Amino acid sequence: MNPYIAIGLLLLLSTGLALIIVLLGAVLGPNNPNERKLEPYESGMVPVGEAMQRLPIRFYLIATLFIVFDIEVIFLFPWALIFRKLGIFGLVEMAVFLLILLVGYIYIWQKGALEWD
Amino acid sequence: MNTNVDWLQRSLAIGPELLLMLGGLVVLLVDMWLADDDHPLLPGLTGLFMVGALIWSFVPFIPGMGITPGTIYGMFALDNLTIFFRVFVLTSSLLVLALTTVYIKGRTEQTGEFYSLLLFITLSVILASAANNLIMIYLAFEFLSLTSYIMVGWLRDDVRSNEAAMKYLLYGAISSAVMLYGMSLLYGATGSTNIAEIAAVFANPRTEIVGIFNLGITAAVLMMVGFGFKVALVPFHQWSPDAYEGAPTPVTTFLSVGPKAAGFAIMIRVLTGALGAQTESWQAMLSAVAILTMVVGNLTALAQTDMKRLLAYSSIAQAGYILMGLVANNPADNFGIRAVLVYLLAYLFTNIGLFVSVIGFEQATGSTTIDDYRGLIRRSPFHAMAMVIFFLSLLGIPPTAGFLGKFLVFGAVINAELYFLAVVGMLTSVISAYYYLNVVRVMFFQGDEEDRPLRFAFPLQAVLVITLVGTLLMNLYPTPFLNLIGEPTNLVTQLFGQLPF
Repeated sequence: MNPYIAIGLLLLLSTGLALIIVLLGAVLGPNNPNERKLEPYESGMVPVGEAMQRLPIRFYLIATLFIVFDIEVIFLFPWALIFRKLGIFGLVEMAVFLLILLVGYIYIWQKGALEWD
Repeated sequence: MNTNVDWLQRSLAIGPELLLMLGGLVVLLVDMWLADDDHPLLPGLTGLFMVGALIWSFVPFIPGMGITPGTIYGMFALDNLTIFFRVFVLTSSLLVLALTTVYIKGRTEQTGEFYSLLLFITLSVILASAANNLIMIYLAFEFLSLTSYIMVGWLRDDVRSNEAAMKYLLYGAISSAVMLYGMSLLYGATGSTNIAEIAAVFANPRTEIVGIFNLGITAAVLMMVGFGFKVALVPFHQWSPDAYEGAPTPVTTFLSVGPKAAGFAIMIRVLTGALGAQTESWQAMLSAVAILTMVVGNLTALAQTDMKRLLAYSSIAQAGYILMGLVANNPADNFGIRAVLVYLLAYLFTNIGLFVSVIGFEQATGSTTIDDYRGLIRRSPFHAMAMVIFFLSLLGIPPTAGFLGKFLVFGAVINAELYFLAVVGMLTSVISAYYYLNVVRVMFFQGDEEDRPLRFAFPLQAVLVITLVGTLLMNLYPTPFLNLIGEPTNLVTQLFGQLPF
């Protein structure tokens, strides 16, 4: 017997089952649409305002910068844990890593990315 | 174990990369310190670091200093292929840098960042072509992609530059996600991300029984989406004409050479390395892609009226020819891979030469449409003659570099007895003659009453001469170029261990 027949059967059965479940739900279930149900779900609260608001682009800039330096900290934790095992090699590697980030920090500072206005 | 010596020798082995990284940071800092954006120190420093890295790349050729093939922590392969791509991309970056100094004046204020990114993108291409581990390949690929998105969208006030960057980003994000899925399948099948270890798992005849073997083929298909995107092979090429047209022209020049080289290097490493056991399957797939690329690229190029778009489609078609070498490669002698590398080198000189002409013309007249090239032979005879030679090289007519590349590629294809592929390649070459020579016709035989002579800036003329000499020399005296590529039999070494030091 061709081993692919089993896969074909599985495909048919799973598609069929999914279809049956969806159809049964549509046929047998109660259907009672109202406006409330179409609203976006906001953790049970009544939604306030529009979703498509204009936000100052500075938020994105700050968020991006935050992520960069946040990840720097995340890298520092595992490094600190196995610091003794890595020895002097790990120290130099981390120094290079921090130095590169320091250049980035000086750069954004000088370019005024940290000023709010 | 004396770790101190290890460091020093490892650092020596990856000196060019360290130098490029340092250069990128230094240029960035110097730019902040300088008040003047057009200060000659910026391109000067950039060039200095590139030249330093280029000279350092030749260190393995010095007898006694010879660095034996190996890998650094299993991540960074140090073999002939890496050395070739180092020299390749550094040469193209230096040429692109010369173009940039002319082009960028007055177009943007962020010149220092641009030079810094040029150093970083060079680094990323080298890292990608030396990557010996799926994780390293992916990281280098993303490094390359992100830098190129930014550089394509450099002209912030230009709508087309923005559009180009956006399209490039969207295509890039999706294709790299698909590629990552393929890589995860490979890891799932073999339990390793190291190329040599993956190859070892697949070489074991037991994998055929377990069924893992075919997973390698699936992974090859998925990863080809990412590689094909970088190289602009046909089903994944839609971004390239828009990106080429909208990007600042020096960036277009680099895009048509650097990422293509990186894509082919990774293809060589992953396909012939990790998936060597599935060679028949992926060669069949690549042969279909190559045929599609050559046909679609050449036929679409026929209808173009803009020079940059024409060159974009032409470079898509050229990628198809280069791919033929990989399709016809025989793992026993690697002649196909050598043909790929020779073709890439020929393409480097020819394509950069053509783009220099386009930039020079754009600087002088502000136009990139083919119609405006009419009467160029009277306005700037040297420039027009150089363009003729570059077009002949793209066509593959001696005495130009393109002939050597096409000769080796078609030779490999005939040797592999892939006659259909060879015939398609020949026929599409003939088609390409129409649109290449059409530009020549416009330049030579369409009259222009006002015969104002065109003047080129000095760096452009220098690059034009260098690429012209390269294009001609590679056919007339190919020995040094072939020496750089190395013996085909030890081009790609299966790198298991680490460097012996």
